[in-house]
Amino acid sequence: MKRNVLAAAAVAATAVLALTGCGGAAGPAEGGGGEDGKTPLTVSVWNYEGTPEFKALFDAYEEENPDIDIQHIDILADDYAEKVTTMLAGGDTTDVLTMKSPMEYARYASRGQLQDVSDVVGQLDTENTANLDAYEVDGKYFAAPYRQDFWLLYYNKDLFDAAGVEYPENLTWDEYAEAAKSLASGEGGNKVYGAYHHYWRSVVQAIASAQTGGDLIGGEYDFLADQYQTVVDLQKEGAALDWATAMSQQTGYRTMFETQQAAMVPMGTWYIAPLVAAQEAGEVDFNWGLAPMPQISDGEDITTFGSPTGFAVNKNAEHSEEAKAFLAWAAGDGGAAAIAEIGVVPALQTDTVTEAYFQLEGLPADDLSKEAFTPEETKLEMPISDVTSDIDAILAEEHELIMVGEKTIEQGIADMTKRVQGEVLN
Amino acid sequence: MTTQTLKRPKASRTGTSPRSQGNRKQARRTTLIGWTFILPNFLGFLAFTLIPVFAAFALAFMEWNSFSTPEWIGLRNFQEMFGSETFWIALMNTVGYTIGHVPLTLGLALLLAMLLNRKLKGIGFFRVAIFFPYITSLVAVAVVWNMLFNPTTGPINQLLEAIGIANPPGWTSSSDWAMPAVIITSVWRDMGYYMILFLAGLQAIPNELYEAAEVDGANAWQRFWNVTVPGLRPTTFFVLVMLTVSSFKVFDLIVVMTDGGPGRSTTVLSQLIYQEGITEGNFGYSSAISLVLFLIVLTVTVVQFKLQQRKER
Repeated sequence: MKRNVLAAAAVAATAVLALTGCGGAAGPAEGGGGEDGKTPLTVSVWNYEGTPEFKALFDAYEEENPDIDIQHIDILADDYAEKVTTMLAGGDTTDVLTMKSPMEYARYASRGQLQDVSDVVGQLDTENTANLDAYEVDGKYFAAPYRQDFWLLYYNKDLFDAAGVEYPENLTWDEYAEAAKSLASGEGGNKVYGAYHHYWRSVVQAIASAQTGGDLIGGEYDFLADQYQTVVDLQKEGAALDWATAMSQQTGYRTMFETQQAAMVPMGTWYIAPLVAAQEAGEVDFNWGLAPMPQISDGEDITTFGSPTGFAVNKNAEHSEEAKAFLAWAAGDGGAAAIAEIGVVPALQTDTVTEAYFQLEGLPADDLSKEAFTPEETKLEMPISDVTSDIDAILAEEHELIMVGEKTIEQGIADMTKRVQGEVLN
Repeated sequence: MTTQTLKRPKASRTGTSPRSQGNRKQARRTTLIGWTFILPNFLGFLAFTLIPVFAAFALAFMEWNSFSTPEWIGLRNFQEMFGSETFWIALMNTVGYTIGHVPLTLGLALLLAMLLNRKLKGIGFFRVAIFFPYITSLVAVAVVWNMLFNPTTGPINQLLEAIGIANPPGWTSSSDWAMPAVIITSVWRDMGYYMILFLAGLQAIPNELYEAAEVDGANAWQRFWNVTVPGLRPTTFFVLVMLTVSSFKVFDLIVVMTDGGPGRSTTVLSQLIYQEGITEGNFGYSSAISLVLFLIVLTVTVVQFKLQQRKER
């Protein structure tokens, strides 16, 4: 008898563990149901602790709307796209879905997984909202951008001073390469690189595409040649960390810049907030600044690339109306103010917002940094269509082979052209 | 591994006396209790393994992006797959990995088991040390090995340069050497586990056989070949089957170490299944690839069983 009871208890315990184990992984972080009659609004986010904009937005919104209780669903950043896809496939009812990249947005929108929010977007200050066209699908919008990121150049003023190199004001790529070579110094553990190019393909390809006007999904890739030449030469001469080392050690761009191993790092504006935070925490004790992205030739408008981050409403949302109201707020003045305050670049770009942005303590206040912040043109990182992700995979594979030196630049570009035309565009 | 043990003695089926009826009732009760014990596990297996497996077989003939209604498209997924260069590259890479991984792991695990199958002070430490990689987090293993394999600053290439090799391989940054690098890492990781299996097998071989062989004048090699190898046959067969199946299914190590790169030089079938299904949302196409992988593994395993049966006869 006693044994039976024990066995039953064991079975029950196992069942409870299994159920809570499953539920806990994807469930809302703050438990189900609204608190004190508030309407719960669930939002999918990545790396909640390390992405302060979410907390900033949610806290500000809850303060303005006391009847709403925002519950975030935290997902590992690297697995975000796959996890959201899986959730949606399972009929998940999360109200608001954060669109981490336009490519995933296009996939969800084309599968009819998102609600049409054209009416919300129509009410926005469309003139001053960056990258809005990235969300247009056949004249409709299925997401509203609250944040935009574009690429600029981070540089270490101390390393520039020590090497006696002028600050990178309106560089061409040739001048950038020269500066990188002059800045490189040391050997072994003390090696300082003039520049660090992160291993993503966009570091080369999206810059080339934005500045030459080349189409990354067009099937012709000759426009990439010059940019590859610059980057490959720099790593051959030891002025930039070689790609193979960066990739095999998963070197972070933050580590390279914050430990003063690289004097210049082209990177997106999302890095500003963490860099300021690291500086406040005393982990960064050198002077740094922002400069505009180097250009192909002198005197050109500053052209760079970037992409929006936005919120969308799930087709199966439990609280559609509340979700739409949140979208309108986040993409408008309220959301912009909330995230500008912590150093995240809002999609809404008005003078008030920029001013609020540079109020942030710890941000370099020199003119060059401010200039870097207002590029004349920000192109979309990659055009969005139903073939984008297939082409993305091919371009990434060939990028690796060029960067590790297994293919010459000409060969790599020829193979991109051949494979994209043969495997995707045929 | 033979079917002999499954055949019941005929006697138990005959006899209808009241006593044997009572026995039967008792037997049925025992069976029922047995079933109740495996039921919770089996329900999970049914819901999360068996039904999805059959669903995947059906999906292989459909087009489905997980949101739309699945559409029957016959063999089109297979047509597309056999016409795709990436599929063939992934298949060849998977086979290449298996050909490298299985014999190396088997050989080294056996060698280690023989070395550690003796009564020595502190032998437990060495056994644990060899087994340790198997219980270490795979991500940590991959990250550390990636550092060791670093083409310029990694200790492996520095050692190679120190002993006079002018152009050491680029390991994970080279298409030719990325797969060997992954194989080396996986052999290092797996051999401890299979060593334990071999150790168990070795200890089941009676010592008298070795003594008898020695008395007959057999040298060490002859003792190994004529006593150890036959004595280990069931273990070896089990290890071989497990290793082959796991090699064909390799996924985690590749994803963390090379993510299929450089280019497509280490892309394997499981990874392609994941990419096509979870990343791209082509669940039909991805099921078709998994069906092919299943058939390959099934065929190889059946062939291994047949060969084993022939040997035992």
